[in-house]
Amino acid sequence: MSNTLRPYLNAVRATLTAALTLENFSSQVVERHNKPEVEAKTTPEVLLNPLIVSRNESERVLIEPSINSIRISISIKQADEIEKILCHKFTRFMMMRAEGFVILRRTPLPGYDISFLITNFHSETMLKHKLVDFIIQFMEDVDKEISEMKLSLNARARIVAESYLATFT
Amino acid sequence: MSNEYAFRKIDIDALDEDALLPSDLVDPDPRGPDGALSDARARSTETRNLVSKGDIAGALTTILTDPPYGDGVDEAKNLTTSAVLLILNSTRANDIPNVIKGLDQEQQAHLMAYLYKNMSALGSGADIPGSVLLTWHEKLTEAAGVGCIVRVMTDRRTL
Amino acid sequence: MSAPEVFQLSLGPLTGVAFGPDRTQLAVSPNNNAAQIYSRGAQEWDLQTTLTEHDKLITAISWAPNTNRIVTCSQDRNAYVWTQLPTGEWKPALVLLRINRAATCVKWSPNEDKFAVGSGARAIAVCSFDEENNWWVSKHIKKPLRSTVLSIDWHPNNVLLAAGTTDAKAFVFSAFIKGIDAKPEPTVWGDRLPFNTICGEFKAPNGGWVHDVAFTPSGNILGFVSHDSAVNLVYPAGPGLPPQALITVRTPTLPYLSLSFTSEESLIAAGHDCQPTVFAVGQNGWEFSHSLDDPASSGSRGLTPTATGTRSVSGPGRLNNEAFNLFRQADTRGQTKPALAATSGAAAGMTPVGADGLLLTVHQNSITDVEPYEWSQTGEVAKVYTVGKDGRLVIWNVTGKPAGGLPGRMAGLQV
Repeated sequence: MSNTLRPYLNAVRATLTAALTLENFSSQVVERHNKPEVEAKTTPEVLLNPLIVSRNESERVLIEPSINSIRISISIKQADEIEKILCHKFTRFMMMRAEGFVILRRTPLPGYDISFLITNFHSETMLKHKLVDFIIQFMEDVDKEISEMKLSLNARARIVAESYLATFT
Repeated sequence: MSNEYAFRKIDIDALDEDALLPSDLVDPDPRGPDGALSDARARSTETRNLVSKGDIAGALTTILTDPPYGDGVDEAKNLTTSAVLLILNSTRANDIPNVIKGLDQEQQAHLMAYLYKNMSALGSGADIPGSVLLTWHEKLTEAAGVGCIVRVMTDRRTL
Repeated sequence: MSAPEVFQLSLGPLTGVAFGPDRTQLAVSPNNNAAQIYSRGAQEWDLQTTLTEHDKLITAISWAPNTNRIVTCSQDRNAYVWTQLPTGEWKPALVLLRINRAATCVKWSPNEDKFAVGSGARAIAVCSFDEENNWWVSKHIKKPLRSTVLSIDWHPNNVLLAAGTTDAKAFVFSAFIKGIDAKPEPTVWGDRLPFNTICGEFKAPNGGWVHDVAFTPSGNILGFVSHDSAVNLVYPAGPGLPPQALITVRTPTLPYLSLSFTSEESLIAAGHDCQPTVFAVGQNGWEFSHSLDDPASSGSRGLTPTATGTRSVSGPGRLNNEAFNLFRQADTRGQTKPALAATSGAAAGMTPVGADGLLLTVHQNSITDVEPYEWSQTGEVAKVYTVGKDGRLVIWNVTGKPAGGLPGRMAGLQV
């Protein structure tokens, strides 16, 4: 792990742990409903200050806490056009299958690549620290995944180019 | 759609007199915008003096006491934030834990709030490397715990 | 200190817990619309009856010890008072709450002639029995409340009521009902107390929802826990005056959800950090004393009880082999690989995680309620119980390490 990645992930872990203090809260606006307040945004007093943890301009995490839900949006490092395309394809692939990931949101927040929504029902049925571990693990793996994909893409492009140009020798 | 149904778009919750507005959740800075600004000026000048003398702990305590908060005090906020940044930048990594130990819990929460504030400004041309902020964040969390982060989230007096 | 008693009553959260008069019965809701009544068996709790009348999540249950009545309230905006027939069955009576949002908390008054229901409708309904019509009627406290009421507590004089709300405030009101209450003795909170008199309004310094409020046994101090990870104590100065002192003890841990006084000088708070902690008056005033479940001193592990009442679902025998268990571990505990290369400098205030992926505390998820369970002869609380979102009910001994600072501990040493 590079030396700025570790403090970055630690900061995200601490902030997430602090934000994952959820409870069951019935809507104050709509009768007999129970909505994730961070999405509904109708009751100002149950929303807390959103916090951003960032490592540099391109890598940051936005954590929006509320009384019964938190929204985590991650901006993934994209150094060049290829990484941009790969990242887009990768997150889109997952978000189209969001129901399989339970806490994944179907669309990211504007300005971010992928968003999660954790409600009190998730934190009641799953171990809280495991949820945090999952997000951290995801952030670690997604960078690895994308750079691996980029490597194999480049390797493939080279092979294609070589075999194509071989016909002209 | 005809105007006949325009009434459906009216936000009736906004007409509720008892509705709680975000502005009701926090009392404004008692010093008022002008008082906060002159206070912030005095403190940031003093801070800069202390930093040039090498008294980091004193500078940090000064700037983190009664920082300006709320709406309408943007100039005072900017002054204070840049003074905090100056301190953060000119502290050696080894000194950080000791400096943090010298703060009380209120000041630690304020420092944490400034760290988050600057991290969110990283994209928009702040002149501080993210690694410095993250180091401070790590040391501060070690000393003050996650409770300190919770207080930044709950405190409506935004710095 | 003797080990705590642990009971796994459900696999999900327990949303309202109340013990019967002699502590051999227990009413609890397993995070749904039913309330279950258990009775104490030799080793565990046996399910007796299920009270089903609500159609949404039950948020709180209160059981009056002398009159043996249960009141339940729910997110379906209703409350029911349950009385036991001679046959042993429980008969519900609807309460006319007249609220249009979820009921969040309920508590019988000390004299058990009325109860209060907090709600999301920015109101508290104070309910009393109407002999003429044979039903429970309510009077609303509305005026200063502008947000959901999260918690309530009664003053021992049966008139004053404390409430905590989501807009970071704690209130003390009069809930005087003509015809039921005699004129109360003057207290530090006020002397003239018509219904809905506001005797105090307090704000948590760093904001945050007020999760729980409680009076000390004498009723002269109000304590409240707020979401800024702080325990606040109010010493009133007298009617109409600002409080003598508002003491705030900030902690490095996650916020507390519940508190309960064990004496005038000590309290137990518990919440998201999964361990009940004792705060007491020490040399420098109120301060953190110790945790009842200190993960550092271990000893609390090995208490992984089987679920009471749900044991039949442990699966057919042929599936109970090694591979099955491995996958089940992975599924329920996320135990696929060793915990992530953890944070070298783990932040203070985080609950430590064991090598098997479970927390080192007895409770595996947030504690939602802590209440006195047993009193000693001197009137101090000897045992408390906690319930959590992990479905566990734990009974803790609090006297092992006497509260009250150094003298108490020295006395313990001599034994």
